[in-house]
Amino acid sequence: MARIHLDNVGLTFRVRPHGRITFKESVIRRIRQMFTSTRTPKMKVRALQNINLDIHDGERLGIIGHNGAGKSTLLKLLAGVYPPTRGRRVVEGRISSLFEIALGFELDATGKENIAYRGYLQGETRRSILAKMGAIEEFSELGNFLNMPVRYYSAGMMVRLAFSIATAINPEILLIDEVLTAGDLAFQDKARQRMQDMMAKARLIVLVSHDLLSLHKMCNKAIWMDHGRIRQAGSVKEVVTAYAGSVKQQAAPPAPSTAPDSSTAAA
Amino acid sequence: MFSYMASIYRCRFFWMSLVKMDLRTRYRRSILGLGWSLLHPIAMTTILCFVFHRIFKVSAEEYAPTLMAGLAFWTYFQGVTLQGCSTFFLAESYIRQYPSPLAIFPLRTALGAGIHFLMALGVAIVLASYTLGIPNPLALLSLVPTLALLFLLGWGLALLAGIATVLFQDSEHLATVGFQILFYATPIIYTDETIRANNLTWLMHYNPLVAFLNLLRDPLIKHQAPSWHTYGAATATVLIVAGLAFGLLYRVQRRFIFYL
Repeated sequence: MARIHLDNVGLTFRVRPHGRITFKESVIRRIRQMFTSTRTPKMKVRALQNINLDIHDGERLGIIGHNGAGKSTLLKLLAGVYPPTRGRRVVEGRISSLFEIALGFELDATGKENIAYRGYLQGETRRSILAKMGAIEEFSELGNFLNMPVRYYSAGMMVRLAFSIATAINPEILLIDEVLTAGDLAFQDKARQRMQDMMAKARLIVLVSHDLLSLHKMCNKAIWMDHGRIRQAGSVKEVVTAYAGSVKQQAAPPAPSTAPDSSTAAA
Repeated sequence: MFSYMASIYRCRFFWMSLVKMDLRTRYRRSILGLGWSLLHPIAMTTILCFVFHRIFKVSAEEYAPTLMAGLAFWTYFQGVTLQGCSTFFLAESYIRQYPSPLAIFPLRTALGAGIHFLMALGVAIVLASYTLGIPNPLALLSLVPTLALLFLLGWGLALLAGIATVLFQDSEHLATVGFQILFYATPIIYTDETIRANNLTWLMHYNPLVAFLNLLRDPLIKHQAPSWHTYGAATATVLIVAGLAFGLLYRVQRRFIFYL
């Protein structure tokens, strides 16, 4: 039984204007504050605001929106990487996630070793991962490359490996950021097929994608994220149409004013 | 607390394989393999032994194993802290992908350094048996609780160093300077006689590291188990370090990802 429930969730990042802080800097700043009594304000970024979401077994949610709208942040919050700074997050079920491509790969280790590491991290044991190793190798179609350090893999090969592992360990919830597009056409078809198989077993999938066409094929629900809020939620068709429409509107040149100019009319 | 330990145990295969990988990548590149990491303490022991024996007329039979045991401890103590500084940065790609108990990454550091320590300690024991005769096996047995204490100390130190470096990026730099000072305030290269002759006993009295050195040296050199007092002092230090480390972790773990 898998379920995701977000209740009025918000996430605010406090950004330090100069990146990472050193001990030296913090001491100097303290001393300076003693004399000037001014505090350097921290920048706040409201990455997510008032997110309400309820997803159940068998649903496939697609997330669309502009760059920086909070799609990936929302996905990481679902995965439990970011804690919500406001509201409540309830996630039931074993999560498997696929974010940035190289994330979570040990570059100097071989493909096979990385299969084991990722599996272990998600709670597999030595025996259970050995049992799945064959299926993962086969699905990734990487063959002999699996004995090579991951450092030498192309982006597409990494995606093949990562996707094969993430789906082979039978997660109840699968979270995927827009990485699938790095795989070749044949693999994308295969991945789509696998996700539909998982669907048949009543699994929950959340997918971030810019590929509006594949969203139609893979999801049955969609949300449109805009400036950290859910702008629209509903069926894939509705949401995608609305989103595509707004993008077109913005892309079109501003409409020339049609009202007659009184000064020129008088001349 | 127990649920946290349980979650560490649950992903045991993960951190164990990371430790294994660390060791392998370290030795894959050198022909001499495991001996390579012992090169530094052995070379230091040889050189210092030669210098102290020739110049200060110290008897090498006792000095060599004393020095080797001291350097083994120091290498572990310093290594676990300095490597601990980068432990969370090395693990960043895991932390950003899966929520896992953060303490497993300093655990990886402590276990890796611990294996090197065991090898160096082995060399010290062999050296001591060679120059001072076979040690009392019962006294050697007293090393078992010592190893447990050292392991906990290392885990705590790596955790502290790791969190400190994430919060303040120049922690490693500060630690390096600190170690430089601490090295000379700890009786690693000098002997009891030099300390007593120079009225430095007070320094040894307040240095918490002395207890750990005695835990190692008593069974090896003096062929006797360390006193309860020594064990007590070492345990107190370990408890303080571990308490600070896990207390700090408890406070920052929820927001840790935002600092990283």
